[in-house]
Amino acid sequence: MLHRPTSHSAAIGPGPVPSLANPGPALEQQPRHAPQAPSCGSEAFCVDPQALSSSHPRQHTQYPYVTGTSVLGITFKDGVLLACDTLGAYGSTKRYKSFDRLRKVNDVCMVGASGELSDFQYIMRLLEELSDDDFCMDDGHHLKPAEVHSYLTRVLYNRRNKMDPLWNSLVVGGFHSGKPFLGTVGMIGTSYTDAHLATGFGNHLARPLMREKHHPDMSEEEAVALMHECLKVCYYRDKNSINKFQLAKVTKDGVSISEPFALETNWGFKLFQNPAANAVGTW
Amino acid sequence: MMRISCPLIDGPATSAAQDACGLRELGVGGAPVDSFPLPAVQDIDSFEREVVEYVKPNHGTTTLGFIFQGGVIIAVDSRASQGSYISSQTVKKVIEINPYLLGTMAGGAADCQFWERNLGRQCRLYELANGKRITVRGASKLLANTMFSYRGMGLSMGTMVAGWDEAGPGLYYVDSDGQRTKGKLFSVGSGSLYAYGVLDEGYRWDLSVEEAVELGLRSIYHATFRDAASGGTVSVYHVTQEGWTKVRGEDVGELHFRFYPDPAKHPCNSVDPLAV
Amino acid sequence: MATALPVRAQVPAAGQATKQHASWSPYDDNGGTVVAVAGDDYCIVAASTRMSTGYSILTRNKSKILRLNPKCVVASAGMQADMETLHKMLHSRHVTYQFNHRRPMSCPATAQLLSNTLYYKRFFPYYTFNLCAGLDDEGRGAVYTYDAIGSYERVGYGCQGSGKELIQPVLDNQLKAASPLVLPQQQWLSSLPLEQAVDLVKGAFVSAGERDIYTGDDVEILIITKDGIRTDSLQLKRD
Repeated sequence: MLHRPTSHSAAIGPGPVPSLANPGPALEQQPRHAPQAPSCGSEAFCVDPQALSSSHPRQHTQYPYVTGTSVLGITFKDGVLLACDTLGAYGSTKRYKSFDRLRKVNDVCMVGASGELSDFQYIMRLLEELSDDDFCMDDGHHLKPAEVHSYLTRVLYNRRNKMDPLWNSLVVGGFHSGKPFLGTVGMIGTSYTDAHLATGFGNHLARPLMREKHHPDMSEEEAVALMHECLKVCYYRDKNSINKFQLAKVTKDGVSISEPFALETNWGFKLFQNPAANAVGTW
Repeated sequence: MMRISCPLIDGPATSAAQDACGLRELGVGGAPVDSFPLPAVQDIDSFEREVVEYVKPNHGTTTLGFIFQGGVIIAVDSRASQGSYISSQTVKKVIEINPYLLGTMAGGAADCQFWERNLGRQCRLYELANGKRITVRGASKLLANTMFSYRGMGLSMGTMVAGWDEAGPGLYYVDSDGQRTKGKLFSVGSGSLYAYGVLDEGYRWDLSVEEAVELGLRSIYHATFRDAASGGTVSVYHVTQEGWTKVRGEDVGELHFRFYPDPAKHPCNSVDPLAV
Repeated sequence: MATALPVRAQVPAAGQATKQHASWSPYDDNGGTVVAVAGDDYCIVAASTRMSTGYSILTRNKSKILRLNPKCVVASAGMQADMETLHKMLHSRHVTYQFNHRRPMSCPATAQLLSNTLYYKRFFPYYTFNLCAGLDDEGRGAVYTYDAIGSYERVGYGCQGSGKELIQPVLDNQLKAASPLVLPQQQWLSSLPLEQAVDLVKGAFVSAGERDIYTGDDVEILIITKDGIRTDSLQLKRD
């Protein structure tokens, strides 16, 4: 592995797991040299001296601040589609409306994230570090989708073990050796692969549609149409979403992430016009 | 130790991307970690309490042991329950540490199993180092020391260490609080009160071996009768100068008909005094 | 959506009282049932493939069985992330063992290893309910059952996971033999012919699927004999 300076020091990143029962090797894990120094290049952090002196482990995200909602993913005949909106919500405030929640990892793999978006940016930094190493090695090797998925599972599981979770549900889409790959990881490391999947609300709103209409040998057009329908359903019922979506595709030709687009919506449904019609006693 | 140098695999984890997986704590590619990892929470005590609610470890028992003129008798039931679910009726609650030492199991099954297995290891190492068997006194102290070092961390164990050494028969009670008591007669577990009732009533120093075995059996049987968390089979061990032997193993269902052959004499079927 | 996660363990933030808003739990129950039956010269291991959280089904096709070698497998129900980690750990230990000993780990050795691996996490347990099954050194079927923190016992048949309350009584009814603790020692392995035992396991799963919301979709069945591992499967209802 190429040498690089520790990119999160003891003061910034998660500290070692305390091992009270028997202070073993875990304690002398990272040399705590010059924690104030910026780790590398662009990332200069302001170090909190309190964080350095306190003996208990740091816990970054105990609740999410800026969050993204559902990410949807389906496989089709020659690839995988991922889709989500571009909102970064601050509580129920629509704070950031052009946040890219679908990101390319390399030519065969992409990741989509819901949950805390700063944690997602940290995760992308980890992945970029790995891709950079692959690039520098220049031996033709790169991470396969299943490897990225497995890696992310380990990262998220490890952080939940430290009681310091990365508050995300991630979707990994990829296409390698002629086969589509679609997997997901939750904030406590729960992971699985399937022909179609959705995080968060999408699991309740979009997944039933996918189960009804998805088949593994559907064409790209069919898959896009299904995806649009799912996005629309999620948008209708998820208050933390906006009508500005991105659709990402990975096939044998590589990863492409679309420009943001809006879907045509119809709010003229009878039940939308008078939503209280069937709920006596409400207004 | 010889190792092939392979920096790609076991080089120092210098980048964040590498260490983010926590490979080091798993002991992958480096020295194995020999400590128990603790959860990174402020209040370990309430965390452990929560965990117990979640994983519901095996629990519940009646065990007893006593010294009499013919040696030591150990008798146990065999039920393990997780909450209200009976997870096993065939638990081996007497742990055979070596041919002269027995440990009993009450409280958390995993705690007892693991630490008494560990005690067996320590006793064997003692033998190899000193060329003689460890005393019951020494063995029980080893276990008590271990328990004391984990005090307050949620271990649950109430055990009797019984055996025979140069001082004769030995019986010690050791629990997860670190308590260690030498004694002639103990009963441990959720059914211990019922067992004590029968045991205290029937115990004499000069019991014959036959009588003593029968007393142990009867005490456990009556504990299984009244304690829902005890049951299965009753096992009775006898320890003498020659080491331990298992002398009885009887299904509670069959014992019932030995102790109550006539249904009319069964306490549940006796004539209701109010009805007369 | 992260905030929809179950609220369970209140993890206090550093130096503060317990937070009122979105909390999280390091544990989740993904359900699933695993069953193993040992015979004179075979062992059957079966696991449902549904993976759920709360009332949602996450996927219908998640294997819960780790095949270590042709004579030993481990099946786990409970929390999927812990299961995956435990399986990876056992797999890695098994590979290392083969480098050191030039042979696969025996079933009784794996059983002991699993017990120690679980107990090692005594203070932050793996939320998994395991069965270790295969053939012992004499070629007889062997099943070991565990609690989450590593107490274990060899049995003739076992069931763990969300459907255990439904399936274990059925197995007891069909297979229960004398306790191994009874003196004088009696035969305590089930001596059912293989085909009958497979049917029993399938029947038990069909029944559990009717009454347990976490058991359904498919059942992965492994039949371990001296000739290796044969697979079978059973479709359950997907509701």
